[in-house]
Amino acid sequence: MKLKPADKNAFEKMAPGAITGPGFLGNDIRPPEEIIAEDEQEFARFGLDFGAVADALEALRASGERGLGEPITVGALLVQTGDARGMLPCPWGDGLHHKNAVSVRLKELAEVACVEGEDMLVFSDLSIHLLREHHFCQGRGSPFRLEPELLAKLVGGRLN
Amino acid sequence: MNPILTGPLAVAGISTILALLISILDKLLNNYGQLDVTINGKKTLNVRGGSPLLGTLAAEGIFVPSACGGRGSCGACKCKVLTDVGPHLPTETPYMSPDEISRNVRLACQVKVRKNLEIELPEELFSVKKFSSRVESIRDLTYDIKEVLLALEGQEIEFQAGQYVQLVVPPYGEVAESVQRAYSMSSRPSDKKHVELLIRLVPGGIATTWVHKYLSQGQQVEVVGAFGEFHIHDTPAAMICVAGGSGMAPFKSMLYHMNETGAFPEKEIWYFFGARSLRDMFYLDEMRELSARWPRFHFVAALSEPKPEDNWTGETGLITDVLDRYLQSKVDAGKGLEGYLCGSPGMINACINVMKKNGMGEDKIYFDKFA
Repeated sequence: MKLKPADKNAFEKMAPGAITGPGFLGNDIRPPEEIIAEDEQEFARFGLDFGAVADALEALRASGERGLGEPITVGALLVQTGDARGMLPCPWGDGLHHKNAVSVRLKELAEVACVEGEDMLVFSDLSIHLLREHHFCQGRGSPFRLEPELLAKLVGGRLN
Repeated sequence: MNPILTGPLAVAGISTILALLISILDKLLNNYGQLDVTINGKKTLNVRGGSPLLGTLAAEGIFVPSACGGRGSCGACKCKVLTDVGPHLPTETPYMSPDEISRNVRLACQVKVRKNLEIELPEELFSVKKFSSRVESIRDLTYDIKEVLLALEGQEIEFQAGQYVQLVVPPYGEVAESVQRAYSMSSRPSDKKHVELLIRLVPGGIATTWVHKYLSQGQQVEVVGAFGEFHIHDTPAAMICVAGGSGMAPFKSMLYHMNETGAFPEKEIWYFFGARSLRDMFYLDEMRELSARWPRFHFVAALSEPKPEDNWTGETGLITDVLDRYLQSKVDAGKGLEGYLCGSPGMINACINVMKKNGMGEDKIYFDKFA
């Protein structure tokens, strides 16, 4: 499949050191277009809609902000929001997003050292944008990877 | 020659020649030679041209704060460029107010030194230094906050309680480039041979992951500092300090400095510290011991979601709710009140709202925002 120039350019910016130090692809050896295509299939398999999941993540972020930087219980989940200095551009060049990190895990795992992407979702404003606008969940091994199965488990019940 | 090999070999040969040609042209066309960078009309540096201003200044021992390693994603390295270096780049404008754009404030990481430049920098940056240090101790304060004590090697640091340093994180694991991140110092200014930092693990965070998973006792570490405007104001007004998590750092420095030196003797000090449950709380004994022997220091710890097994008898609720209750009923505003805040933008904004609601002037609320 021939890539559109905009996609080719965006995929180059996903490499480590271009926009962020670790990049967006983790240790995933699949090309980004394959990651997107396979995650779209996974979303369909779990009955998830990209826009609805992005809305739910935004709502969780807003709930987490009430914890003022400390973890806060939101229903069955424990949510914590953290902020960093500055902004990150989308690799596709369609927006700048505040640097932050929201972590979401099941409340009963509060005392457990969770692993990003396995039993804890970690996302930022940029992750929500990438999901909503580009159907891009990031590569496996990226700490900000939004694994469809984990999304279904933690966020599935919150979709409108 | 085998025709199957001829094609690839020809392509490889042409590619090599083109790469060499590009490299030679780059050296010829982008050779700006030695140039002058004049700072504040007083100090002139003769530098090699062609590189971003941020790195050029750092090579000369002038460290402009930067949290992203020059990628243009933190907006911290602002400086005024008096020479015309062209319009602001799209990578700069998101971090600039209209006023800053009109005054030609630029991001030092985005401006390349291609001609002689005149720039303006805050004078205090001239005293900023890079320090070599060794990790003297590193210990867990909670499951996600570490206390890191760095012993400086052959140098002493001068700073005001409340200021921060930039920790230089070397390449590690999948992270191929060095980055710097800002952390408030929790050590006392009188201890010039050490820098103590409190660092909370941020999921996905480059620097905090390095500290929590890679850094160990005895390891060599570089820090750059001291930076920042957050400090104790010399007035008789009571200090209302609010923090959570690693926001403890500048207050630990301020409190022990004031207690040790007797500075600002008229100030009453109220310190509100919030955590979710007892496992997120730290320095509880130290702060209680300090308040027991220092009558003008009042420590109020609060848990937002205490567990039954915590047996917590202290304040409960979000720290903003506790702050509100105390400002209404317990804090004496007779000599005036000053707010001192350290934390996330959300926490700071929420505290400012509570303080304003209780009659505190916004111009008397000082903060160190993690953003």
